[in-house]
Amino acid sequence: MNARAVTAGFKQQAIQFFADPQWIIPSLISPFLMTMVMIFISSGGTAIEGPVVLQAVLGGGVLGMWASSLFSSSSSVSFDRINGTFEPMLGSGTRIIYVLAGRSLWSTLIGLMNAFIVFAIAELMFGTGLSLDRPFLFFLTVLMTMLSLSTVGLLISSLFVLTRKGGTIATVLEYPLYVFSGALIPISLLPGWMHPISYVLGPSWGVDAMKYAALPVHEGLMGMSIVADIAICMLLSIVMIVISYFVMLYVERKVLEYGTATRY
Amino acid sequence: MSDIIEVRDLTRKFSVRRSPDKIAVDGISFDVKEGEIFGLLGPNGAGKTTTIKMLSTLLYPSSGSAKVLGYDITDERTVMDLRRRINVVSGGERGLYYRLTARQNLKFFSDLYGIPKNERDIRCDELLELVGLTRASDIRVEDFSRGMKQRLHIARALVNDPEVLYLDEPTIGLDPEISRSIRDMIRKLSDSGKTIILTTHYMYEAEELCDRMVILSQGKVVGRGTVGKIKDMVSDTSVVHILTDKDPAEALKTLESDSDITGIMTCMVGGRYDTRFSCVSGTPDPHAHEEAFRPFGIRTIGLDEPTLEDAYIRLTGGERE
Repeated sequence: MNARAVTAGFKQQAIQFFADPQWIIPSLISPFLMTMVMIFISSGGTAIEGPVVLQAVLGGGVLGMWASSLFSSSSSVSFDRINGTFEPMLGSGTRIIYVLAGRSLWSTLIGLMNAFIVFAIAELMFGTGLSLDRPFLFFLTVLMTMLSLSTVGLLISSLFVLTRKGGTIATVLEYPLYVFSGALIPISLLPGWMHPISYVLGPSWGVDAMKYAALPVHEGLMGMSIVADIAICMLLSIVMIVISYFVMLYVERKVLEYGTATRY
Repeated sequence: MSDIIEVRDLTRKFSVRRSPDKIAVDGISFDVKEGEIFGLLGPNGAGKTTTIKMLSTLLYPSSGSAKVLGYDITDERTVMDLRRRINVVSGGERGLYYRLTARQNLKFFSDLYGIPKNERDIRCDELLELVGLTRASDIRVEDFSRGMKQRLHIARALVNDPEVLYLDEPTIGLDPEISRSIRDMIRKLSDSGKTIILTTHYMYEAEELCDRMVILSQGKVVGRGTVGKIKDMVSDTSVVHILTDKDPAEALKTLESDSDITGIMTCMVGGRYDTRFSCVSGTPDPHAHEEAFRPFGIRTIGLDEPTLEDAYIRLTGGERE
């Protein structure tokens, strides 16, 4: 573990983030639009209230978090390629995965901000009467879900080292996670063959835990309790980090083999 | 002095879609001694940058081997140790975070090298002073001129105090004054004991800085040694030297159509046009071309000893960039 490189990646991403005004799009405008869409669809044109709307708001929050994580992870390596900073980073004697991890942590923070913006929009602008049963537990589950989303983002950013089409692939990857994680619609409503995909994704269990903490009544994923949800989410996130590490080692080797570090 | 870099039959091929593999570096071998400035000369596409990338562990060779500071460049177990002891400066605008300040850039890369924080802050200040950017240290790089960016590139490459520094065309596209300041900087770095590998296609730069060099052409070594030795390689050739008042463009067309004539160069010196060329078949007769140059006002005409540039053009077969 290289904490200096993780911190450096975090700081660098933070400075770049605020220096580029387009951060507002994935961080504020996109969650705002998503929340509106989710609330109106869920309310079915009737009064905006009740657990169904709360579920929609939670979904909107996850969408915001994932948008942030994916935007950050897909642009991270592409940006370095275009900027010509990928090679100096690669040659620096530290594993790039640590820098990417730092950047993912930054996107976690921004993702959390997105989620709370969604909740604030729902509460203040639409008056959804968002009342949480267990606020502290809810905050913890949101944090855990966001970290879990970031580990998926970390794996994706590792894979993006091999490709120059990060942005395009990111667009394609945005929606599957909404579906598979249960953020958009409950996993139980998905066709049976999709369930295994949902079960191996940490965020699915994080979303389930969020619902446990926020909704007065909730039937857990595969009948699991909130404690089991948290444990599985954390375990799968750790597995994702380990996979990302080894994928990155493989990808770095391939980049040196193909000579594609400067292509963009 | 011991050899700090040993290159043996190093080859790098690239796959090109629907075409045969492109051989960028074709079985080159050379050694670099500790503390020297070693030149890799050659026209664009000669394989200089590919060689630098392999020696700096940013590209695997297709075959052959190389050792830098005793480390095999392809050994994954030791590659991180090697990377911490070397660094690369690339010419051009890219390679820095434009929305970060000069100091933030240096701190970021220092952190990647794991430089202790106290040492990092002191070193960043020293490096900014070394490259003359102290006053611009807190300005975003996007507001820098090209020369300032290049100086910051050098500072970035020194954050880990490397023992071996690769400079890949560090003065490309810079004005003469900035180029000179960068050459002075390179000399200072060499004086401080660093081993420097310099790629360039500016012959005066190589002549001024390099202790020894290899000349690459189409991925192969076509010449090696000190400046004097490389000149000796073409000592059988004398160079015709004609100084004219006007631009002898028309006369050059006649020379270019003569397959026996090679290495034609014209540059303006003190308001006059200095043309040089040599003959493939041996010592040329300068007066054979007097007639063609007369309309342009000949000031002097005669034979000269070949310069490094003449040797370079002869050895690379007069490849144009």
